[in-house]
Amino acid sequence: MENPAIIHIDKLTKRFPVGNGEFTALNNVSLQFEKGEFTGLVGPSGSGKTTLLNIIGSLDTPTEGVVTVLGQSIAGLSHKQSAQLRNKHLGFIFQTYNLFPVYTVYENVEFALLLQHIPAAERRKAVLDALEWVGLTDKINSKPPQLSGGEGQRVAIARAMVKRPAIMLADEPTANLDSKNSHHILQTMKRLNEELHTTFLFATHDEKVMAYLDRIISLEDGKVVKDEQIVHAKN
Amino acid sequence: MIQFLFKGIIRDKNRSLLPILVISLGVFLTVLGSAWFKGVFSDMIDTNANFTAGHVRVMTRAYAEIVDQTPNDLALVEVDQLVKELKDQYTDFEWVERTHFGGLLDVPNEEGETRAQGMAVGQGIDFFSPDTHEPERMNIINSIVEGKLPSQPGEALISNDFAKRFNVKIGDPVTLFGSTMYGGMAFTNFTVCGTVRFGMQALDRGAILIDITDAQAALDMADAAGEVLGFQKTGTYDEEPALQVKEDFNAKYADDPDEYAPSMQRLNDQNFLGYYLDLAKYMSSIVIFIFVLAMSIVLWNTGLLGGLRRYNEFGMRLAMGEEKKHIYGSLLTESVIIGAVGSVIGTIFGLAAGYYLQKNGIDMGSAMQGGSMMMPTVFKARIGPEAFYIGFIPGLVSMVLGNALAGIGIYRRQTAVLTKELSV
Repeated sequence: MENPAIIHIDKLTKRFPVGNGEFTALNNVSLQFEKGEFTGLVGPSGSGKTTLLNIIGSLDTPTEGVVTVLGQSIAGLSHKQSAQLRNKHLGFIFQTYNLFPVYTVYENVEFALLLQHIPAAERRKAVLDALEWVGLTDKINSKPPQLSGGEGQRVAIARAMVKRPAIMLADEPTANLDSKNSHHILQTMKRLNEELHTTFLFATHDEKVMAYLDRIISLEDGKVVKDEQIVHAKN
Repeated sequence: MIQFLFKGIIRDKNRSLLPILVISLGVFLTVLGSAWFKGVFSDMIDTNANFTAGHVRVMTRAYAEIVDQTPNDLALVEVDQLVKELKDQYTDFEWVERTHFGGLLDVPNEEGETRAQGMAVGQGIDFFSPDTHEPERMNIINSIVEGKLPSQPGEALISNDFAKRFNVKIGDPVTLFGSTMYGGMAFTNFTVCGTVRFGMQALDRGAILIDITDAQAALDMADAAGEVLGFQKTGTYDEEPALQVKEDFNAKYADDPDEYAPSMQRLNDQNFLGYYLDLAKYMSSIVIFIFVLAMSIVLWNTGLLGGLRRYNEFGMRLAMGEEKKHIYGSLLTESVIIGAVGSVIGTIFGLAAGYYLQKNGIDMGSAMQGGSMMMPTVFKARIGPEAFYIGFIPGLVSMVLGNALAGIGIYRRQTAVLTKELSV
């Protein structure tokens, strides 16, 4: 049976006003993503990677074209509906982790579930599971400033995956990490992808990330210039 | 969620400590300022009421027109009957006769020759009646520096400053030169039984206080008095009952064309006292308005800075699926909590400082040298029931307003712009 597409992008164009004119960040992009993909959007700065992730993540809207995520057209969503989509189905991982500095690791991860009004006992179990996934059960009472870069990004992953989203959007997740931590993070995400079938979309230009991807979509000046499936050699 | 936000407030000092300090300071100043102005205006009004204006004041119409000149030739006559009627009809008031007069106080030497002379303002009040409240109403007992209250005819209290200036001792004779009710010259000897200091420049420069019967005798005012004052038995001035009594009393003489017919005025109607009463009444609102405005501007800026500092957090919360209105709501909830905490702290300190100033006051005597207005030289605060809650108005309103204004940025910005920093 064919794997159903969970993200449809059809002739997407995104323009931003710049001075008296406009800047075209995405130009007539059409793509599809299926459940369980581990895909990277690659390209130089200004190629439109982050803009595309933002629109898929319903943080922004298309100027033209249609983007459908999990059956919902992004352009037609109200603020409340797009917030609900992000809350229930999407997880974000950013380059700078963006943890809440005054809260503990546990509380940072728990916040995602507080937004879903999940009961305390259920919340606790899910948070501990997520932290176990990323190997940080010994850091639950630490605060972000006490963590290393790799640990901070692992907390960010735990926070994104604790609510078991269908799609994880990761914008340059390894940009601030050294090689060892980058591989650790990527292995964790790959494991999530394989065991929970979470769809991962990366925006990256990190060679280390590309080595893990199953599909690489190259963007240049807002256009898709290459879309290739990667076949990894089996060990 | 509330618990989560509360933890954030407690742990993030920039989010709590600075705004709480600003709020506490503003609330402290509001409470203290309110108590201070209330005390100053109330003291001024009470002083004027007790010494000259009463809560209501009965004079002849002619006297009332030039009341500043204390024209005793236009005084009320058959005053005993008038007071009796007033006492019978308006039982919620205490009615007393008063006569103001001016004159020259002559201090003789041992040979009876003039040793010193000075201008003096005088009052004849009821010292001798067994149920009189006049000495306590005018705070004379506490104002005595030396000696005692007059206890028999011919005794007088004089101002301590006057006594010192002219080296007058207790038991010394003084002669009052003035004019009678009929325009003749009056001179009467009194024995100084005590000296007083009221803390009011207008009185302390030179004053003589004698019993009303002595004043009537000295100024040839048998069964007459310059005015009859009514004081509400509750001790505090209440405008409405005073208005009713005034209207009822004046209605009885409405058809009487006699310019010597009695006429009643309320405290509000006299000189600038109505203005001061209004000022006292609205002073709390004025103080609140000023502090709400000033603190809102400060907290708006604080909120803007805090908001900008927290854009990263807001962006992340939006990315995680929190709604804009929920973030805005949580910002306002935080501001209510911080505003309430700051208000409590500010109110406690404001009340403490207000209480200190209520007890001790600030002596402004040196700044009021030569002043002729009837006002105390020691200004004291007065803590009323409103002092316990008044600070919460600017404390909460300014904090919420400041944050509400700052938080509008969340609504006006595109979600992707709020999260922009996240992807840098």
